[in-house]
Amino acid sequence: MKRASVCAILLLASAALFAQNDIPKASKASIAYRANRETLTKPSFGLAKVEALIKKYKLRDKDEAPLPAAEYKKLTIKEKFTYHMIYGEVSSQNCDVMPTLVDEEKHIYAYPPGAFQDERSWSDSQMAEIKKNRNAFLPLIQQTILKGKIGCNLKQAILELEAFELIPSMCEVYKRKRYDHDILSVLMILMKEGKFKPFMESASYKKLYGDEESSYQSFLVANKENQDLIMSRATAFYASKRR
Amino acid sequence: MISWVTIPAGSYQVGVPELIDNPRRNVVIKAFEISKYEVTNQQFYEFVQATGYITDAEQRHNGRAFAPGLKEFRWLSDKTANWHFPNGRSRGGIQAKMDHPVTCISFRDAEAFCRWAGVRLPTLDEWEIAARGGTDGRYFCDSRSLRQYANIWGGRDHLTADTSDGYMTTAPVGAFKPNPLGLYDVYGNVFEFSSGRLRSDTRATQRHSRGGSWWCSKNSCCFFNSVDVGTVSVWASFSNQGFRLARDIR
Repeated sequence: MKRASVCAILLLASAALFAQNDIPKASKASIAYRANRETLTKPSFGLAKVEALIKKYKLRDKDEAPLPAAEYKKLTIKEKFTYHMIYGEVSSQNCDVMPTLVDEEKHIYAYPPGAFQDERSWSDSQMAEIKKNRNAFLPLIQQTILKGKIGCNLKQAILELEAFELIPSMCEVYKRKRYDHDILSVLMILMKEGKFKPFMESASYKKLYGDEESSYQSFLVANKENQDLIMSRATAFYASKRR
Repeated sequence: MISWVTIPAGSYQVGVPELIDNPRRNVVIKAFEISKYEVTNQQFYEFVQATGYITDAEQRHNGRAFAPGLKEFRWLSDKTANWHFPNGRSRGGIQAKMDHPVTCISFRDAEAFCRWAGVRLPTLDEWEIAARGGTDGRYFCDSRSLRQYANIWGGRDHLTADTSDGYMTTAPVGAFKPNPLGLYDVYGNVFEFSSGRLRSDTRATQRHSRGGSWWCSKNSCCFFNSVDVGTVSVWASFSNQGFRLARDIR
């Protein structure tokens, strides 16, 4: 009996030790990077007014909750842009494309996180509005991102609009800090969607999108060589589109 | 009639090192029982017949439906989608699928069913312990043989239909091989609601589900495993979302 008790105590102690030691120690850098990846960039155009409307109608407390049509119609085009960029009208399902991983800051993933991190996404009518207003929204996106950040919402808007026109601006923002590697993911997806041959034939494409085993969690190492190569290819893609 | 599998009390390892929200650790649980199968349309029908319950999707018309041709992670907003017509009225009802898992129900609907049945949802840890069935790591089986155990999507994307395993969406519960404890459809078929919170949760409306679904492919949302945890709004009703049951051992 006594021996059994000792064994039990030893087992409990080792289990406790195991539990403490085996939890991965995500570095502060990784945790901060993850938070940054999921940050929205709020456009400044009529932001207070749009946020007040969302609050007034308690849209975030509901599901399937668009701004009343009459209110939406009264918004200027810039305010409409802000509305779409800060609010998704329908519920989404995060079968988590990007589960929180250690060492995220060292990777260039195949895809950036979704537009919103609050189980919401753009409704069909929002998607249609964003696409319908492409010409008006592109300069607004550019003005917003050149202020410093390209939030996950703006990245998704760029992808929805297949906005190759913003490639130089995205490269400019990335080069300032070389921190937000999801910008490089956006550049690669634009090249993929544009079927840009030099990218489609590359090892990067195969690893991230073309390989039978590639998935939403596939990544490249975020070293300077890969960073420069992606921007160089994207710049060539941009030039080919401008010809 | 619900078939149960008993999970003994004890200390179990859950999680994997690379997931910050589900790190490898030991957890201690009380003994509980978990249902061998996911809750079926027939069982949900009996609940509705007995109570007159109206689901969130029927009230809110917020069902999220699927049809081939959608880009990855896109769903259709279909006001006719609910548990009677999981992918919308135009895509057919459940009359011939009463042995399939109920879908297009919200977390709140699953909780209502549990209250009626005198049971509960498994917690996140309980679900994982049962799913692992004594194994370690992401899968209870060889990952190369997953499709023998799981109704999942076999196509590279969702632009065209995939029926390579005989089913495009849900399959009858128990149609695939069970895990080591005899639980069926732990991976795939439907995401299964679990109770509990993650350390990264910040909103009261967040709920979680496990195990992946018929929609999940190895290229998109490869959550048909023991460790990944999905997140969904408490109101949302998707046609790949269902649940299984748990109960305390008295």
